Parts: sequence; structure tokens; C-alpha cells
Amino acid sequence: MAEVSFSKEIKLLKLGQGETFHGEGILAVTKALLQSGVTYVGGYQGAPVSHLLDVMVEAKDLMGELGVHVQACTNEASAAAMLGASIMYPVRGAVTWKSIVGTNVAADALSNLSSPGVMGGALIVVGEDYGEGASVIQERTHAFAMKSTMWLMDPRPNLPTIVRMVEKSFELSEASNAPVIMELRIRACHVRGSFTASDNIAPKISARELQKMPAEFLYDRLAHPPVTYKHEKLKFEVRMPAARQFIRDHKLNEIFDGTHNDVGLIVQGGLYNGLIRALQEIGLADAYGRTDIPILALNVVYPLVPEEITAFAAGRKAIAVIEEGQPEYIEHEIGAILRRADLNTVLHGKDMFLQAGEYTTEVLVNGLVKLLAQHLPSIDTSHGAGFARELSVLRGKAQAILAGPLPARPPGFCIGCPERPVFAALKLAEREVGKVHVSADIGCHALATFEPFSFGNSILGYGMSLASSAGVQGFSQKRPIAIMGDGGFWHNGLLSGVTSSLLNHGDQILVIMKNGYTSATGTQDVISTPQAEAREKAAGASTVDSDLTIENTLKGMGVKWLRTVNNYRVGDMRKTIVEAMRTPFDGLKVIIAEGECQLERQRRLRPIRAKLLGEGKRVVRERFGVDEDTCTGDHSCIRLSGCPTLTVKPSSDPLKTDPVAHVTNGCVGCGLCGANAHAATLCPSFFRAEIVSNPNWIDRAKAGLRRALTAGAA
Amino acid sequence: MSLRPRTLLIAALGGEGGGVLAEWIVSAALQAKLPVQATSVPGVAQRTGATSYYIEMMDEPAPEGLTPVLALVPVPGRIDYMISSEHLETARLLERGFASPERTVLISSTSRVYTTAEKMQMGDGRFDPERLDRLCHDLSHAYIALDLERLALDNGTVVSAPMFGALAAAGAFPFSREVCEAAIRAGGRGAEASLKGFAAAFTATRVALDQSADAPAPTQEPAPPSDALKKVVALGQGRCAEYQDEAYAELFLDRVRLLRDAAGSTEDPRQEHALEEGVRRLALWMAYEDIPRVADLKTRKERFTRIRRDAEMRDDQILHVVEYLKPGIEEIAAMLPPKLGNVLMRRAASGKETWPFGRGVNISTTGVTGYWTMRALAGFGRIRRSSLRFAEETAAIERWLAAMRQALQGSPAFAGALAELPRLLKGYGDTHLRGRANYAAIWDGIVMPALSSGQLEVVAPKLRQAIAAALADPEGKTLRRALA
Repeated sequence: MAEVSFSKEIKLLKLGQGETFHGEGILAVTKALLQSGVTYVGGYQGAPVSHLLDVMVEAKDLMGELGVHVQACTNEASAAAMLGASIMYPVRGAVTWKSIVGTNVAADALSNLSSPGVMGGALIVVGEDYGEGASVIQERTHAFAMKSTMWLMDPRPNLPTIVRMVEKSFELSEASNAPVIMELRIRACHVRGSFTASDNIAPKISARELQKMPAEFLYDRLAHPPVTYKHEKLKFEVRMPAARQFIRDHKLNEIFDGTHNDVGLIVQGGLYNGLIRALQEIGLADAYGRTDIPILALNVVYPLVPEEITAFAAGRKAIAVIEEGQPEYIEHEIGAILRRADLNTVLHGKDMFLQAGEYTTEVLVNGLVKLLAQHLPSIDTSHGAGFARELSVLRGKAQAILAGPLPARPPGFCIGCPERPVFAALKLAEREVGKVHVSADIGCHALATFEPFSFGNSILGYGMSLASSAGVQGFSQKRPIAIMGDGGFWHNGLLSGVTSSLLNHGDQILVIMKNGYTSATGTQDVISTPQAEAREKAAGASTVDSDLTIENTLKGMGVKWLRTVNNYRVGDMRKTIVEAMRTPFDGLKVIIAEGECQLERQRRLRPIRAKLLGEGKRVVRERFGVDEDTCTGDHSCIRLSGCPTLTVKPSSDPLKTDPVAHVTNGCVGCGLCGANAHAATLCPSFFRAEIVSNPNWIDRAKAGLRRALTAGAA
Repeated sequence: MSLRPRTLLIAALGGEGGGVLAEWIVSAALQAKLPVQATSVPGVAQRTGATSYYIEMMDEPAPEGLTPVLALVPVPGRIDYMISSEHLETARLLERGFASPERTVLISSTSRVYTTAEKMQMGDGRFDPERLDRLCHDLSHAYIALDLERLALDNGTVVSAPMFGALAAAGAFPFSREVCEAAIRAGGRGAEASLKGFAAAFTATRVALDQSADAPAPTQEPAPPSDALKKVVALGQGRCAEYQDEAYAELFLDRVRLLRDAAGSTEDPRQEHALEEGVRRLALWMAYEDIPRVADLKTRKERFTRIRRDAEMRDDQILHVVEYLKPGIEEIAAMLPPKLGNVLMRRAASGKETWPFGRGVNISTTGVTGYWTMRALAGFGRIRRSSLRFAEETAAIERWLAAMRQALQGSPAFAGALAELPRLLKGYGDTHLRGRANYAAIWDGIVMPALSSGQLEVVAPKLRQAIAAALADPEGKTLRRALA
């Protein structure tokens, strides 16, 4: 993280009353937290909310000025537990993570938080990682809100609404003594828009204005029997009515009147813009959101306010709930509300729209056309119906021209990534020991599940690989291998995996990718991240060997078989994997695969190199290459690498028809190509080029001599 | 009052600066006081995955008291302007129906960043570019094809800058070029290079638009009468002369004559193709890669020139080249006379210590020692005719030639497939052994039985499938199924 600058973002966080903020949704949320006077902020990184915490961590000066405590937590449970500060103190706090996975990890703390309830406003900002671009299991945060009685915001995806809802969330939380979750979909987090800022508020109790006395002892505020029975009653008899009152009084949900009053649409706030676009497509709304069909936009999706629902439904022939994901909790609840109120308005939802999957405009148009045809037959929906036909013709045409599926382009390891060689070595090791069971994990290394490696028999969650191979080892002739990143190791793997394996004398193999950061989420620091001085000294070299926290921890815990291997030494890595597979040692075997995240190395190196070049100083750059006249176009090298810079190009030899391998000038000279050429006995086509810029007189003299002695070739 | 927002879809790969482009567009629109919204699915932090950015803006400022409701998700068939930095990614969006022939102005780079799935194939896995081009033509209202990658490289910038210029020139924005350029300048770092890239793409797009407006669609030039065979023969002759000597080139021509005679004077295009392919494979086979050949190629002057060019080196920079070599004992044996070679091979087969062979070595061909070591190895080429490998290859070539002659007389389809069979003999080391084994399996399993039974025409498709199967996966699973 140290190598990324957030100065522009930090400037936006400092805006005052009346100034205009132009920027991303998630940054607007960050600004809104400061405008709400938060005392503390925590969280665990993950797209699409990483930015919130990253920027705050870097904005030390501003946070110091306001007295806001910022904590980069080591997992979501640790972040959720932070909110415990608001149980007994009148302080506002916010935490953030990616959902559903983060909420799963945080679940225990969340239950224990919401049972006693909060005094100060507690807000959980979750990135609802759902639909296109999502990287996690497709489940809803909604279930957690319901089961733990936390309120759930799903604001309309425009910056003024999002910001207002953040501010209102704290008030709602305090008015009802319950934590509030705000779910933001991927595109809402990344939406670029504007809002008029207010001044930041320095919290009354803070790192600057210290609380003198700890809170008094109140057994009622502990999530411990017997008061937990009372808490359950409080949730439904006191907190929920208070929340509903607040939602109604502050008009958190919004009604957009229409002209065709026989039908009404109830939509999750986050889907509102998409719904308007779908109505436009049918000719029932304009670009400014003026709609012919009445809409109730729920910025708060839990709890619902029964009076709002019945008032909206009364007198209509039908209402439809537009609710993404499944199960359809909102629709079910509205059904119950309507029945209890004895309203005969027909209820639609999942029967008209999609059961599972993202509610794109196309899905919405198709559903609306069906709905209107049934309940408002007088409306001309031919435009909407034609839309579906038009698209199916378009796609049919495309299919006919392409005559087959397009090759997929999943994300891959970066150029020069230190994790790629480990999988090359594993592929080569399999030639000796046969196929092995690989328990994959969450992190960059999960990209090895894609071609050309296709490794991984299961993924059970972040830091869970070793734990998930415990069952497999029990019935497997060959030892299973668990892959884990250092991010996953510190997040969960150490406890869930290593301690459990040691306690049970597991005969497992664990490969820890020691790259120094939680790279997949944007290279945030972990406890074993190399120190700043070591990084500065290393420049473009790997410096993860300067920190031994992982090794010392494992040794301290009693791991006896521990090997550290430099990732780029593919032959050594292969040998070590084979050794781990074959050793008679019965117990946990850990291979530390060492190689610093290449993104961080390059970010460090680039400015240093640019500076030296600018000053006319000597700089050596290494890159690899393939001799195209000796390459025979078999591409074995690519099957062991997949590096973006190792690609193919048409052979310039007119006799050869197959494309030849080719290294583009983006190569950072990590060394894998050479190591693979040796370890896998690939071919003699690879070479390493060392390019000396601003050579000194020794370089030049040597070069002249060489040229003279090699008949001018070199 | 415009009641429909203008919609822009940008397709890029991770790390190409798509976010910067979106930011430029947003700030330019804000400068022009137009309501605008951008959003994206940037995916994970890693590079190379497909990403997209979506922008909506109004052509006029919003009337007092109204705020446009802009969508976050692009709507298929409703995109006004689409730009993509990579040809396959363009196709991916078109496949999903985003562009419409009624509405969409499509700007696509013709450059390709091959996917791993395409690159890792043992033969040629690249997606057919003609299909991509046709898709772009047929599914857009106007199609502007540019090499955006080249425009970026030539101007020392990343692809986002030429993308911005191309969009501006194509009329994607309700504001002027100057507003766009001001946005780039306000962005700060790298602005000069970005502006150059912007300008270059702006001009290129205007030229492309003028051409498509003035001229009717260019009609395909009729292909010149086929002298493809002549060309391949000449290339092969040159290759053999340069590989060995003139006598070797003569041997090549003699062999070509045999094939020609067998083919007869037919107008059957299949026969012509089989002959051309046969001659091509013959040339490549005769110039097989052994240690002397590799050592020779690696120490040629033009090779170092090529490396300098590929690395975009300036004249004042100095180059060192280090080779990664790991000659196996078979490869050493191959360049020795049969007697000596066989001793080595037996030693290897007996599992005895074969040190120092089979070790990875790094040799600097720009160093004096390394250079002359390689030249010395290249010198073994002069005694190639008496080497173990030469004897083996000659025998195999002769067998294949005889089979080719029979095939050319019997079935053009079979001959066409058989001509391709040597394509499997690729690579070095393990890769080469695998290729040889596959070749042998197909030879014994399909070619020989077909030749002795004379059922060539019937077996031709099977032979073709088996060759494709051998190139399908390195483990040989598909081939085993094909031969079963």
C-alpha cells in the first residue's frame, strides 16, 4: 500500500460546507462518515469497498485533526467486534468489508453486538458483491440483517442520496439502539457523481477528546444469559417500532407518483436507476425520472414499515416487488403485511422477474412487459416487447458470425508475479509424483484455477485451504497440498488451519505464498509486510525475506518441517514439493514460497529508475526474449507460465504456419522464463537481455573489446 | 430538451487506464456543465482481466429543479458510442448484444492481446480475426477500425489517450476537442504524451471516417493466380542451402520433383494444397533444429539487431545476452557420429551418471567465451551428414516421402493430411520426444494400415482428426481416444 498515493482522494475528504464533491461512490461514503462525526472506523479490505479504508489509513493528518481512530483490522470479525465500543459509549463508529463473505466471518461478533444493541450509532458499510464483476458466492446480506435484527439500507445509487442515507443511518441507529448495515452494489461503489459537501464534524469523544472514565458495569449490556432473553424482546418490542417510526418520520423511503395508479412498483433503492431506465425503454418514464407507474423506492429494505406498504398498495389492482437475489425476503414480508391488512392487491415479484441473477435493464423490461400486459392492458408495451426480440436477433446474428464461443479472458497473475512460478513448479512436480489434490484458497493464487494451470479441487473460504484438506488427507493415499497466501494465513489460516492440523497431527502439506501483502485486494499491509527501510533498500528486488514473522510464528507453534524457497527457483521449488510429498515425516509440512508482490516492487522501482535515467546515471534493465527462428511453436513455455508478456505472434518465417512464442517489451525480467526453460527442459529459444542505459566508460570499453573479439556480432 | 442520455461503453483490459479515460470524460462533461455519470466493473486488482466502463451524459444542462436519473448498467442495443482497446473484447460486447446496427458508432482497436486459452494451444489457437472484423461491421451503425495499441506505443503513452481522441473525433461528446484536451491537461502527470496520443487518434479517426464516407466499401482484390507452390519451393531451397549447403538444396529439389511427379498435372485444388503443404513440411523437416543449428542462429549478427529492435534500444545502450540452454544427452548424441552417439545413448538408457549432460547452462553469447563456444558448436553442422540424428531423420523423411507419393497418386485428401503430419515434430527435449512418439503412433496406427490397404480416401478424415488430436493436449489424452 505504501507505494500508492491517495492525495487526490484525501483532498476530497477535506471539502467544507457548500463545496462540490466530484468522485466515486465509496469515497462519498467515506466523506459522509466524517460529516457524521464518527469516532472510529475499521474494516477489512475487499472489492468494492477497499478504497474506504485505504484512503482513511493514508489520511493520517486529517484523521488526527478530527481525532478519528482508524484501524485496518486483520479480518472482518475483528472489525465487527470494534463496534462493541458503541454499546456502552455514545460514540459513532463505522466498519466496512466485502459481503457476503466478510459478513459471514463477522457473524459471531455481529450477533453479540446486536443483541445488547448500541448507544452510539453503529454503521456497517458492505460492498454487496453481487452480479457482473462479483468475485464471491452469490448470497444476500439481507439474511444477516434479518436474523440479527440489524437495519439494512439500500440507497438509490446517486451520491446525494447515498450521503444522506449514511448520515441518517447513524441517527436511525441511535434512535433505535440497533446497528445499521448499508449495502452498496459494485457499480454503486464505483459510480462517479457529485454532491454538495458539508463540514466534517470532530467527534465529542475521540482520540483528541479522551473519555476519562470507563463505562459503568451494566450486565444488561452483555450478550450473556439471562439478559439475552430480554434483548430478544427488546429487539421486537422497542427497537423495531422505534426504527419504523424514524424511517417514516424522516421519509427515508421515497414515493414517486405516477399516472397509472392501478399498478405500483416497490423497488430496492439500489435498483431504482435501472428501473427508471427500463420504464424509459417501454416509454413510461423520462430521463429525469418522471414515471407513469408509481414507485415506492425502499432506501431501507429492513425493516419494512407496514403502514407505508399498505398505504402504497391500497386501491391498486397489483403491486410488484423488484428485488434482486434470492430468496425474496422483501416480497415474502410484503405478502404477510398485505394479508394481515386484508388487502386484496395482487402481489407480484419473482413470478415476473428473474429468480436468481442480476436485475439488468433487460430483465426488468421483460418483467415489466409481462406485468403490464396482465394488469394495464391499455398501455402500449410493444416497444418493450420489441426490445427482447431485437436483442435475440442481434445475438443470433453474432452467434452466426462467430460460429463458436469466444475464448474467455479471466483475470490472471500480473507480469512477473512471484506466485506463477510456484504453480509451474507444482505442474512439474506432478510429472514425478502424479496428480495431487490441491486445496485452493482466496487470494491472487486462486488465479491458478484458470488456464494454463487449472489447479484447485476446492475453495472453502479465505484462509480455509489447510482446514479443508484435513478431511481429504484422512482417506487419500497421497498427501493433499493446501495453498494459502500470507493474507489468508493471517486472516484465518493460522488458527483454522495450522493449529488444527498440529493439534490433530495432520499429515498435510501447506504452501504459504509469502508475497508480503494482501495483494488481491490492493496490496494492503499484513503483520509480516517488510519494513519500510527494507523496502527502500531493496528497490526493485524482493524483500520479503527481511521479515520472519510467519516462520517464527510457525516454529513457535511447533511446526517441525519448514522449508523456505525462493519462488523463481522453479527447480528448487519442484524438488521441495516432491520432498514434501515423499518424506517419511509424519506431520504438518510447510513450504514458504518467498517472492515479494511484483506490483509493489515495480511501483517502487519505476520512480527510482526514472530518476536515475533523468540524471543520466547508469541503469540496467533485464528482460527475457524468445528467438523466433529457433521457436517451433509448440507453446510448452506458455502452458507453464501464462504471463501476459509471454504471448504469440505470427512467425516471420514464411514457411512456418503456427505462431511463435514472443516476449513483449512489458517483460520485467522476473526470471521465470529462464527458470522454466531449465527446470522443464523446454527449449533453447529463451534468452535474457541485459540492457545498460547510460553506460559508463568501463561498459563501453568492454563492449568495444567484445565486439572486436566476436567478429562484430555482439 | 433532450430526454435521452447519451450512452458510452468502454471496454478495456485491467491496467490499461480505462479508469483514467472515464475520469477524463467525466471531468470534461463537468467542465461543459453537463450532467454525467460513470461507473465500472473494474474487477480484481490484477491485470489482464476484461473490464468495462459505462458513462451516461445529457447533451444539455438539466432544467431547473430536475436531476436526470442515469443508469449504472449498460443496456444491450442502446449504446450510442462504444470503444474497445482490444478486438476480441469488442466481440465479447457485441456477442452480448450491446451494439446496435441502428445506433452504435463502434470504434475498435484491431490489435489483439491473446488470451491464455489461445496462446497455450500446441498449434495455432488464435481466434479468427476475420470473424471479429465481420462482427464489428455487421453489428454496428458505423465501424471505425484503428490500431489503438500502435497509436499508444508510437506516442509513448497508454491506450486510454488514443481512445479518448478517437471518441472525440467520432463525435461521441457534446463538447469540443479543446474541452477534452483541457481535461487531459488538468489530469497532470504524463499529459504531454497523452495529448500526443489523443491528437494522433483524433486524426486517424477523422481519416477513417472520411474514407468510409467518400469511397464505397473497398472490394477485395482478386487473388493473383496461384504461384504459392513456386514460392514455397524457392523458400525451401534457400532454407536448405543456408542450413547446410548447395548440395543439400539440390537434394531438397530432387525430393520436391518426386512429389511433383507423383501429384501429376492436376487442377484439383486439394491436390495443389497437398503438394504445397508437403513441400513446406519437407523444407522445415530437412532444416531440423539441432544443437549446431541453434548455436548458429544464436550467434548471427541479425539476431542481435533484432533483439535490440524488439527491446526498443537506442544506439548508446549496451546489450548483454545470456542464453538458457539445457542440452539433453540425446541432443548431444544426435550431433555425434552414430557410433559415438549410440554409446552415449546406451549410457543414458542404462541410467548411469551422465554428468555433465542434462544440466542447465547459461552462456553469454555477447561474451567472448560464450560466443566462440557457440560458434564451435555451430561448426558441428559441417559434419552433420555423418551424425546420428541425420541418419535417423533422413530415414524418416524417406519413409514419409514414399508415403506422400503413394498418397498423391491415390487420394488428394489423404495426401493433404499426411503432408501435415510432420507438423507434430516440434520442439526440443521432452517436447520433441512427445512429438516423435505422437508421430509414430499415428504412423503405425493410421498411415501404415491405410497405405497397405489402399483405403486412403476413407481414412483421410481420420488422419486429419488424429493430427488435430495430437495437438489438442500435451498429455496425449485426445490422441489416445482418437486412435482407440
